[in-house]
Amino acid sequence: MGKALDRTLAALADPHRRRVVELLGERPRPAGELARLVGLSPPAMSRHLRTLRACGLVSESHPEFDARVRIYELQPSPMRELKTWLERSERLWAAQLGAFKRFAEGGGKADR
Amino acid sequence: MSSRVLVALRVDVSRERAFDVFVQDIGAWWRPNGLFRTAPDEPGTLSFDFSGATTLLVETSPDGERYQIGEVVDYRPPERLTFTWRQADFPEGLVTEVAVRFDAVAATTTRVSVEHRGFHAVPEDSAARHGFPDAALQMRLAEWWRTLLDNLADHTRPDPN
Repeated sequence: MGKALDRTLAALADPHRRRVVELLGERPRPAGELARLVGLSPPAMSRHLRTLRACGLVSESHPEFDARVRIYELQPSPMRELKTWLERSERLWAAQLGAFKRFAEGGGKADR
Repeated sequence: MSSRVLVALRVDVSRERAFDVFVQDIGAWWRPNGLFRTAPDEPGTLSFDFSGATTLLVETSPDGERYQIGEVVDYRPPERLTFTWRQADFPEGLVTEVAVRFDAVAATTTRVSVEHRGFHAVPEDSAARHGFPDAALQMRLAEWWRTLLDNLADHTRPDPN
């Protein structure tokens, strides 16, 4: 699980790949369109897309009418790991602050 | 979805007292919890250790093992306390910070708020490794990451797993 997050962060460290993720955040797009919009050659773009696919941030498919066209789409699951940590942290602090309140208002006696 | 956590409540004691209890008595009020484990060993006792050049937040396990959860980066009694936070089960890429504020609502009522942030940031060493040279760029990345997470919340589908 931790390794996955590290890979996600590493994949996003490249500005071209961040741009790709932004563009795919709007809608799925074919590889050629991504290359044009980001201003990269198709081979350079396909290297970046491979990195993004390896960490699960994007997925690839092709339309039924043409197997040669590759459509890329953003996958939210790597983001979900982060969300899990946020939720855990929220529960932790809600519980601990509650304990702090009881302790402080109780005049500094542990409530166990 | 936001990339930070904010939890706040009112405590019926003065701001000075709230700050003091928070820092000095953390070992007494913090509830060690197997579910939210902060140290690698058995849940232990938390304390702020003022003995060194920097103040540390440490957890001491029942058999005396010390684990450093974080380091105090801003200490302004009675209004503010900020420390770094890295619990033992955090993934490698996650570096976070906890900012605690004590706002006086009345003479004997204090609003205590905890903001746990940084879940969107790329840590410094990892940033250097991946070619992020300066802090300004990191800040932008943090902003970008947060915006992206907010946008994504709209079209996230249930996880098939």
